[in-house]
Amino acid sequence: MWWRSPSFILDKQQSDTVPHQRNPPDTLPLPLPSQPPFSMADTLQNPSPENNISAYYQTRAAHHAVVTGDWLAQAQAAIGRDPDDSTDTTVATVAGKPFSVIDEFNSWRKQPELAEAVAAIRALAAVIRNCQATTMMELEIELKKASDSLKSGDTTSISLTAGCDLFMRYVTRTSALEYEDFDSAKSRLIERAEKFGEISCKARRIIAMLSQDFIFDGCTILVHGFSRVVFEVLKTAAQSKKLFRVFCTEGRPDRSGLRLSNELAKLDVPVKLLIDSAVAYTMDEVDMVFVGADGVVESGGIINMMGTFQIALVAHSMNKPVYVAAESYKFARLYPLDQKDMVPALCPIDFGVPIPSKVEVETSARDYTPPQYLTLLFTDLGVLTPSVVSDELIQLYL
Amino acid sequence: MMELEIELKKASDSLKLWDATSISLTAGCDLFMRYVTRTSALEYEDFNSAKSRLIERAEKFGEISCKARRIIAMLSQDFIFDGCTIMVHGFSRVVLEVLKTAAQSKKLFRVFCTEGRPDRTGLRLSNELAKLDVPVKLLIDSAVAYTMDDVDMVFVGADGVVESGGIINMMGTYQMALVAHSMNKPVYVAAESYKFARLYPLDQKDMAPALRPIDFGVPIPSKVEVETSARDYTPPQYLTLLFTDLGVLTPSVVSDELIQLYL
Repeated sequence: MWWRSPSFILDKQQSDTVPHQRNPPDTLPLPLPSQPPFSMADTLQNPSPENNISAYYQTRAAHHAVVTGDWLAQAQAAIGRDPDDSTDTTVATVAGKPFSVIDEFNSWRKQPELAEAVAAIRALAAVIRNCQATTMMELEIELKKASDSLKSGDTTSISLTAGCDLFMRYVTRTSALEYEDFDSAKSRLIERAEKFGEISCKARRIIAMLSQDFIFDGCTILVHGFSRVVFEVLKTAAQSKKLFRVFCTEGRPDRSGLRLSNELAKLDVPVKLLIDSAVAYTMDEVDMVFVGADGVVESGGIINMMGTFQIALVAHSMNKPVYVAAESYKFARLYPLDQKDMVPALCPIDFGVPIPSKVEVETSARDYTPPQYLTLLFTDLGVLTPSVVSDELIQLYL
Repeated sequence: MMELEIELKKASDSLKLWDATSISLTAGCDLFMRYVTRTSALEYEDFNSAKSRLIERAEKFGEISCKARRIIAMLSQDFIFDGCTIMVHGFSRVVLEVLKTAAQSKKLFRVFCTEGRPDRTGLRLSNELAKLDVPVKLLIDSAVAYTMDDVDMVFVGADGVVESGGIINMMGTYQMALVAHSMNKPVYVAAESYKFARLYPLDQKDMAPALRPIDFGVPIPSKVEVETSARDYTPPQYLTLLFTDLGVLTPSVVSDELIQLYL
């Protein structure tokens, strides 16, 4: 079987210091659904960024590796909780033990379709609902504490940080705090929080709708790695009976491209797999490049999986448009000046053979694509050019 | 003499058939045929002395080809300076010779090695370089643009050098040359002269296909195609210099050299 159990990946991370010596994944044929919540919680609560393993990419990889309907059903059965029923979730948590935002966050994260930032937003909304504060200041302080603990859980994830910041701003905007009665102010806050959560959830569908005009019959699309937004875009196009084909890069080192090709093959979309080196070779036949984003920065550039910059550069030199699909909660207040000017997010690479100890390995999991290589950004705020992003950011954060 | 030439031609053809996709094999055979059967050798009346003259020329050609790598390594030493960072792609014995000579003359430099999917040749090169105590850093193929800022020059080998001055090499070379060119980094090619071929590809697909199966590590659904070509064509505008045993050439000079070789 080709999928890897997330507990396997996370256990390996916790136990070994030699990341390149990894057992072949097929020694663990079945996932162990009862283990992921605790080990994920451990990883999210106890990473030290100086130890170089980015929790964001580890759990992403875990999600990427294992999602089948069976696994999800098994996980849900084992935990005995229905993730769609949010009120039961919060009541159960409050009744069972003191409310912990990290636990809430983790319970939302178990759904592989849910973006990390949206899970954080939902968790923060639950914080408001469950908080014991009696004044607005206390509530804000509690919210800030919860937001900080979520952010410290994984300092390398840009969308998590950006999502938390935007939520804080959106929710604590002035008008809600003018009520004299604390309870009505609190319920107003909860209302705004839920609305923000809903918008974030629907963001993907809005983006998919906006991008349909750009996909024409007979076009060839190049994608890199696995982005759920881009997958939604392609799925919507396939379901509206458009004829197009997709070139998928392999997406080393986590082979996310293979997973995307799997999913696309199920939708009967003609897919062609390429190794990462073959992008320039095939760029002639490509009509457009579609990528997702881990974060959109103030310059209008994006931070995404390693290899995106390379593809954008090659596409730009051959005059092919590069489209980015990113939800608005990924807009971050960052301005990288070069490739190394970001919080490092490292991800160990398995080369399949032992590497001599003298040899270094470049393990960064992401790169920065400057705005001049991007054509358009599809967001739930609309279709934007890279130069407009800073204006939008100002409006969002004001 | 006619019989000898016919026999030689038959042998050359059977060698070329053994691997229809290898450009250097074809080019090497053709150049050998031309070199050996050039007119002056055939003016002898006595067949035996003509034959011994042919054998002499053949041995000389073989020697030149053997020494080619050392000549190229010597020529390229001036371009490697102390403290430079060199990016290489895959495993080329010529490039390894170049780097080995530089390391042995106590130059201080470091090497960025791409992984070289799908045959992991880059890993092998990094192994060899680590033995020579050269600081090596391994990259996945996607990380070339990410690290290109720190790089001073790109060094690649070639499967074949074509008439336009471009090269045919392992898949990924074109991408690396494109990225290097956009960031104004020089791309140096180390190729022996017997790799000069009479080809002129007009685009990436205009060559004899050389396919190789790729092992992704997981089973691929049958509906999914895979791009299995093992090599690509790098047009001459992305190359800076070619180091050959005929000297250090610019891409535009290659066609002149080819004419001289093949005449």
